[in-house]
Amino acid sequence: MRKFFLSCFAIVISLLFGALILWLMGKDPVAAYMNLLQGSGLMHKVKYAGRQSMFTDFMSFIDAMTPMIFASLSVAVALRGGFFNIGVAGQMMAAGFAAHMLAGVIPSRVLVVVAGLIAGAVVGALIGWLRYKFNVNEVVSSIMLNSILMYLITFYINTFYVNPVSRQSKPITDAARLTLSGFRWEGLKVDIALAFPVAIITALFLNWFLERTTYGYEIKATGLSPNAAYYAGMNVNRTALMTMTLSGALAGLAGVSYFCGYLASIQPGTTPAMGFDAIAVSLLGGNNPLGCVLASFLITIISKGSVYMSSRQNIEPEIASLITAFILTFAACSAILDRRRRK
Amino acid sequence: MPEVIVEMRHITKRFPGIVANDDVSLEIRKGEIFAVLGENGAGKSTLVSMLFGMYEPDEGEIFIRGRKERINSPRYATSLSIGMVHQHFRLVSNYTIAENIILGLEPTKKFLGMFPCVDIKKANRDIAELSERYGLKVNPEDVIENVNVATRQRVEILKMLYREAEILIFDEPTAVLTPQEIDSFLHILKNLQAHGKTIILITHKLREIKAVADRCAIMNRGKLISILDVPTTSTDEMARLMVGREVSFTTEKSPAHFGDVVLSVDNISVKSVTGYEAVRGVTFEIHAGEVFAVAGVSGNGQNELADSIAGLLKTSHGTITLNGHDITRASVRERIQAGVAYIPEDRHNVGLVLDFPLRDNFPLRRYYSPKFSRRGIINEAEFDGYGRTLEERYDIRSSQGGATITRSMSGGNQQKAIIAREVDMQTPLIIFMQPTRGLDAGAVMNIHRQIVAERDRGAAVLLISLDLDEIIDCADTIAVIYNGSINKIAPAESLTVDDIGLYMMGVGRTA
Repeated sequence: MRKFFLSCFAIVISLLFGALILWLMGKDPVAAYMNLLQGSGLMHKVKYAGRQSMFTDFMSFIDAMTPMIFASLSVAVALRGGFFNIGVAGQMMAAGFAAHMLAGVIPSRVLVVVAGLIAGAVVGALIGWLRYKFNVNEVVSSIMLNSILMYLITFYINTFYVNPVSRQSKPITDAARLTLSGFRWEGLKVDIALAFPVAIITALFLNWFLERTTYGYEIKATGLSPNAAYYAGMNVNRTALMTMTLSGALAGLAGVSYFCGYLASIQPGTTPAMGFDAIAVSLLGGNNPLGCVLASFLITIISKGSVYMSSRQNIEPEIASLITAFILTFAACSAILDRRRRK
Repeated sequence: MPEVIVEMRHITKRFPGIVANDDVSLEIRKGEIFAVLGENGAGKSTLVSMLFGMYEPDEGEIFIRGRKERINSPRYATSLSIGMVHQHFRLVSNYTIAENIILGLEPTKKFLGMFPCVDIKKANRDIAELSERYGLKVNPEDVIENVNVATRQRVEILKMLYREAEILIFDEPTAVLTPQEIDSFLHILKNLQAHGKTIILITHKLREIKAVADRCAIMNRGKLISILDVPTTSTDEMARLMVGREVSFTTEKSPAHFGDVVLSVDNISVKSVTGYEAVRGVTFEIHAGEVFAVAGVSGNGQNELADSIAGLLKTSHGTITLNGHDITRASVRERIQAGVAYIPEDRHNVGLVLDFPLRDNFPLRRYYSPKFSRRGIINEAEFDGYGRTLEERYDIRSSQGGATITRSMSGGNQQKAIIAREVDMQTPLIIFMQPTRGLDAGAVMNIHRQIVAERDRGAAVLLISLDLDEIIDCADTIAVIYNGSINKIAPAESLTVDDIGLYMMGVGRTA
C-alpha cells in the first residue's frame, strides 16, 4: 500500500515536471497530456483517418504495451533475486534475432516464442553464471553484453540479412509474426497482439510463483539477504542462476513480442530503449508482477502517445522520454526513501 | 614526578542504551607506556577514541600538555601530535608503503620548474631513514597487498611517526599477530619509548602488559576500576580486577544428567573467510543433556568454530561427528536435517531475512519440508498458523503479528524469533552463539532459562559466549578458547572466574 502511494507520488511529480517544461517551451501542458491519452486510444481524437478509430488506436497501444510488460517482469524478477538486470535490451535483441533466423526457415509462431525464450534465458544464465563463478558484477557484464550482442547482430544483419530498402533486417513473415497486423474487422484495420494474453498470464503466474512457491521463497530470501539464505541451507548459487535464467527468458519474450510482433524487423545498430525503460516501469510497479502490468500501462501511454502529441503540438517526441526519465529518477528515490524509513 | 601529558577529567560518554564511559578520570605521564585493560565492551576503545577525536565526550574535559582541548577530529588530534593505530588497519592496499605513509602530506617538487608533483624519491629516502632510526624494518617500495600483517602494522606506526606524533595510541595491536610477531612488536614499543614517545596501549592480554607497560588502567563496564603500577602487581591480581564482579547464579539449574555423546569434534582446523587459520586442532565432545560452554576473548576463533559445526564454513582438517554419523562434509541443509540447530551471532545479516514479514522467517530453514510445502508449493495456512503458534509460545511481540516486517522489530524480539525457530526444531544439538549480545537483563534471563531447558530436554547444547557471567550461569562444562585452540576443558564447578579469566588470556598455556 505504501509502495503504491510512493509510485503514484513519483508519477505525479514527474508529470508536473514535464508540464513545467512544456509550459516553459510555450506549449499547453493540458492539451499535450490529453494528446498522450488520445494517441493511446484512451480518449477520442478530433478526427480519424480511414479504417481507424479509437479502438484501433487502443489495440495498437496494447500491441506496444505487451513487450513492455515482459521486459518489466524481467527486471522485476531479477531485482527480487538481488540482480540488477540492465541487459534486458541485449537479451531482447538476442531473442528477436534468434526468432527471426528460425522463422526465416520455419515460419511458426510457437517456434518464435520458444526460440526467444531460450535465447533470452541463455544470455541471462550467462550473466548469472559469470557472477557466481567469477564474481563479475551483473551490471557490468550485462551492459557489456548489450554492446556485444548488438554489434554482432548488427554485423550479421547488415552483411547477410538486410532489406536494402528499409536498411533493416528482412521482415518476418506474417505466419510467424506475433501481431496480426492490419486485421480487417467491421471495416477497420486492427493490430491484434497475440502475445498480450500471454503477458497477462505470465504476470499472474509470476505473482503466484514468487509468493506461493518454495522457488519464489528462495529467490526472495537470496535477493534480500544472501547470508541468511546460505544459513537457511539454500543453494545460493543455484538460486542466483535460476533467477537470471528466468529473468533472461522473460526478456526473451519481450524481445520476440517486440521484434516479431510490435515490429516486424530488427533495426541494426541500436538497442531497444524499452530495455532501459523497463527498469523505470519495474521500480514504479514496486517490483511486483501485477504492479509491473499497471506501470507498463502508464509508461506506454507516455511512449505510445508521444507520436500523436508531437504531431499535434509540434513538440519533439523526446519530451516523452524525458518524462519517463523523471519517473525513473523519482521512483528510484522513493524506493530508497522507503527503505531508509524502515531501517 | 614526570610531566603529565594527557589528562582526562570526569569523562562520560553515552551511546543509545548504554553508558560506554562513566565518569572516568586519569592522567598519563610523558614517556610512559600506559595500558588500558578490560573485557570486550568495557569501554576501552571508546575512551581512547575520544583522545583521537573520533568521538567527543558528553561530559568531562581533556587536557593535552596542560592545555584544555576540544578534540573534534582526527585531523586536530594529529596537529596535537597524537597518533593512533586502529585495530583494522587503514591502508590503501594497492599503494606502496611510502605512498601510504606520505598520503596527505606528500613532499612535492616542481617538474620542469613549474608543475608540482609528488617527490616519491624524497619520500622513499625519508621513510628509509625513519624506519632505520626507530628500528622498524620496511621496504618503502613494497606494495601493501604484498606484505604481511606485521609489516602493515609497522607501516601504521611509521605513518604516525612521519606525522611527528608524540602520543601513540594502539588499539588491540596484537590481536592479528602471531606469538613471534607479538614479541617483536613489544620490542618496538620499548624502542619507541626509548625515543621519548608516550604510548597508550589497549589490550586484554595480560602477558603483554606485564612485559612492557609501566602503569595500567583497568576498566569494567564503562567504569575505571583502578590504576595499577604494573611492576608491583601480579597478573592474577590484574585478571581478578578485570573480570572482578559479583558472580551471580541467577538461573535455576538442576544437576545435569549426561547421556551419550551427541557431538564429537575431532582435531578440526578451520580457515576464516580471509584465509587465516582461525581454529587450530580443536577437539571436544558434548553429551546429551550437557551445556558445553566455550569462553574466550573475541576473535579467538569462536565464530569459525560455530560456523564450521553448523556447516557454513568448511573444515580444512579433522572430523565432526553427530550421533555417530560423520557430518564433516555435509551441507548446511543436510546438517539441519541431521539435527543441528544454530543461533548465529549476527542476527541481522545471517539469522533473519530482515525485510521478510515475521511469519516468513520462522520456516526459513525448513520451508521445503512437507510441513510447509508440497511439491514446491507453499502451504500458506501453515506459514501463518506456525507463526502464530511460535509468537504465542515464545512470547514474541510485534506490532502487526506475522505480517510485521522483521526489520521493524526490537532486537530482543528478533532474537526471540530466531531462538523460537531453532529451539522448536527439537534437534539433538543446538548451538548458541552469543545469544544475549545487546539484550536487556530480562531478555537475558529468559534466554538462559531456555538454554537450560534445552539441556533438560536432553539436547546437547554448545554455548559460545564472550560474556563470562553467561558462561558461569549456564555451563556444565567449560572450555576456554585462545588463539584458535582449546586451552582448557573442565567441569564448570571446578573452575573459578579468575581461572577462566587467566585461561582466556592465554596464561597457563604450555605450548
